[in-house]
Amino acid sequence: MKLCITSDGKELNSSVEETFGRSPYFVIVNTETPESKSVRNTSMQSGHGAGIRAAQIIADEGAEALLTGIVGPNAFNALKAAHIKVFEGASEFDSVKDALEKFKKGMYKEATVPSGGPGGGRRFRGGQW
Amino acid sequence: MVDAELRDKILAALHRKVLDIPVVAVTGGKGGVGKSTIAINIAAGLAEMGHKVALMDADVEAPDDHIMLGITLEKPLDITINVPDVDAGKCTGCRICVDICRRNALFQPREGVPVLIGDCNGCEACMLACPEGALGKEGKKIGETYVSERDRLLLFTGKLLPAIEESSMVVSALRDRLCASGTGADLVLVDTSPGIHCNVINALRGADAVYAVTEPTTLGAHDLERTLKLLGILGLSSHLILNFSDLPGPREKIAAMARALDAEISCELPVDEQVLKSHVEGVPAVSMFPDAVSSVCMRRIAEDIATEYLQ
Repeated sequence: MKLCITSDGKELNSSVEETFGRSPYFVIVNTETPESKSVRNTSMQSGHGAGIRAAQIIADEGAEALLTGIVGPNAFNALKAAHIKVFEGASEFDSVKDALEKFKKGMYKEATVPSGGPGGGRRFRGGQW
Repeated sequence: MVDAELRDKILAALHRKVLDIPVVAVTGGKGGVGKSTIAINIAAGLAEMGHKVALMDADVEAPDDHIMLGITLEKPLDITINVPDVDAGKCTGCRICVDICRRNALFQPREGVPVLIGDCNGCEACMLACPEGALGKEGKKIGETYVSERDRLLLFTGKLLPAIEESSMVVSALRDRLCASGTGADLVLVDTSPGIHCNVINALRGADAVYAVTEPTTLGAHDLERTLKLLGILGLSSHLILNFSDLPGPREKIAAMARALDAEISCELPVDEQVLKSHVEGVPAVSMFPDAVSSVCMRRIAEDIATEYLQ
């Protein structure tokens, strides 16, 4: 399965990013093979709809599932429309590789409802409570 | 910086008018300084002098002029923006609409047609860009306009729905309704929101005269400076009204700052209990207490406007 993990950087050793729409990179791994690639998130600075745009980017990459910290309702609806499964709860204290190992062990639950209000997947560095 | 010639063109376009009647605006940076009080009294004063006035309550987030005038809001009309409605029969899945949307509101799933998921603001770029004409228009309500009439006073009120971002579009819809209504008014008086943002800018378009209201407090001074700077950018000069002028406050600071920005205090209104009473009754002070100090001042402003624009 092609799994997208939100990340601070391009590498498997990069830290997990807990937001989806404003994650700097998406590391897309194959859960059955060692294959992986990274995609820069061009929607990161969007004033509006970063989550929807991010969903478009990973849908276009053929991702079948997403692992991140939290997903807002707009992104959630877009991911649902693209039949991309959502797994929440990944931590920024883990590397992408660690998170992948935990995922393989079934340590993350599939989300069936979005976590926050519109923009709820957003977490600015600064400028927010 | 925009060069001078281009700036003139932009301002000419910004202030272009459809109606061939004078437009006077009452504005101010700070809330609660008396913009609406002054606007409704100038309107009532002009109406009493025999002029037909269209008062445009463009404070679309909190339109209160009808309450102060004791007028019921009538003839509601919905304001809608157009959001895309995808015709699956025509859509080829080219994704131009998805990529052109600056709000990232549209999403293209792997199969099927684009779906509207995000917060569309009705810019219609997607509809213009679609080469197949596959995007129809579906109305989304953002507010309401009202028209009420009493004697020679026509009140146009715009109301934005709570938690909707498009306040400036409500101002535009309100102006469009006013222009289309064939009011026969001699003059339009615009009461703007406080502040210096988009819906205020929109409400100030085409103003022949602007009255900027403030109060002699540190807050009033600070917010007036921002208003005067906005008016400078918009190429509008203004008359300053110092309301609650007998409050102990930094009058000199206000006067000096105004001078520095080419404005001058042209009228002072003292704190006046009779104005408060007039609000309780929902009758303009100029009508209820014609001899009150404030009423005399506000009627004089109406006379100045009539002399300048209605002779």
